[in-house]
Amino acid sequence: GESVRMASLGRGVMRSVKNMKYSDIQVKVREATSNEEWGPSGADMNEIAQLTFNHNDLLEVMDMLDKRMNDKGKNWRHVFKALTVLDYIVHSGSENVVNWAKDNLYIIKTLREFQYVDEEAKDQGANVRQKAKDLTALLQDDERLRAERKNRSHMRDRLSSRNDD
Amino acid sequence: GSSRNVDHSRAEGDLVINIKKATNAEETAPKRKHVRSCIVYTWDHRSSQSFWAGLKVQPILADEIQTFKALICVHKVLQEGHPVTLREAQAQTGWLDTCTRSVVGEGPRGYGPLIRAYVDFLLAKLQFHRHHPDFNGTFEYEEYIALKMINDPNEGYETITDLMTLQDRIEAFQKLIFAHFRSGSSNECRISALVPLVVESYGIYKFITSMLRAMHANTDSSEALEPLRSRYNAQHYRLLKFYYECSNLKYLTGLIAVPKLPQDPPSLIGDDSAPSLPKRPVQEAPREPSP
Repeated sequence: GESVRMASLGRGVMRSVKNMKYSDIQVKVREATSNEEWGPSGADMNEIAQLTFNHNDLLEVMDMLDKRMNDKGKNWRHVFKALTVLDYIVHSGSENVVNWAKDNLYIIKTLREFQYVDEEAKDQGANVRQKAKDLTALLQDDERLRAERKNRSHMRDRLSSRNDD
Repeated sequence: GSSRNVDHSRAEGDLVINIKKATNAEETAPKRKHVRSCIVYTWDHRSSQSFWAGLKVQPILADEIQTFKALICVHKVLQEGHPVTLREAQAQTGWLDTCTRSVVGEGPRGYGPLIRAYVDFLLAKLQFHRHHPDFNGTFEYEEYIALKMINDPNEGYETITDLMTLQDRIEAFQKLIFAHFRSGSSNECRISALVPLVVESYGIYKFITSMLRAMHANTDSSEALEPLRSRYNAQHYRLLKFYYECSNLKYLTGLIAVPKLPQDPPSLIGDDSAPSLPKRPVQEAPREPSP
């Protein structure tokens, strides 16, 4: 209803105020992993994936995702969306995303028991637990990961060549 | 390297707060977020020394609930912490012994026997890891170089026997926990000790299944493995019962997915009715250094 819309509008304003101290890249990652009920969009995630091909940008992206993944239960959407973005860029980003995720696997792995039950007694942690489980399994299966990354880049090539026609 | 950005100046203080909150006197589960912070600390710093030091400065032993929660916390950190944790824990058996002397008899809320049994189990676990340093805390097959054992059937036989002995210890301990449930209580604190036991017993089970299969495929005398097969079958049925009982605990099923075993033990010879197995780890190509 109206109050929900106003509350989320308020949150948006608050976020833009907080965002003033962040770089453009950090803002982009924060927006993609916000507490809003929607998103992140494919376009946002694709943009973040492209950033990871520049080493300094990559560090900023990973640092912000790391912060989001370690957020508290009440902000379970931060955690869930950070895992969603990470899953996306593990597929489409630079190889260094994969290296980062493997080196810091414990961050993802320990989220497989993430817990958060909201005020309406709904188990919101389940979303995070499942995502963390899937991503851990993927990162531990080199063969599958290589195949999925290759697949994704083929698809991208096909799509972009069609646009060039 | 590509390690995370850790604020070392804050880390120690945060760890102490997390240990304190994970082991407070409320008769509840140790909160996952606090336990997770302890686990993450050991990876960030590649050391568990501050974790042990932090446990010792807390007045945990004066209260049976705090002691029991500390043991759950220790178990989780041993399971999920950096591998160095298992090595460093070998020097902490004295502290674990002290825990058993903290409560006399049953204790006001009945945690006395559970604390003593937990310490016994953790000491058995540490002894196993001392003899078999290649295993990680949750016995993940993916992270073990299994080829070594198949090439040396004697070592494989001994390792499986030791794993089965540890599995029997889990069995005895979980039964004791169930026997100490109190009516009119949520039993949340006791149930939360079952969580790492489910994880660990399933890791061991999957490992033994994989190893016994591999040994059957690589040896001519199936007869020599008969004692292991019959013990495996007996453990399968006990584990099935354990998981069935856990699946009826709503609090527990909200925390982890309780594994579902087939009604009968899978065949160890051939692939007929066998469940799918994790793949043998492949040698990883050396990674290119990040720029």
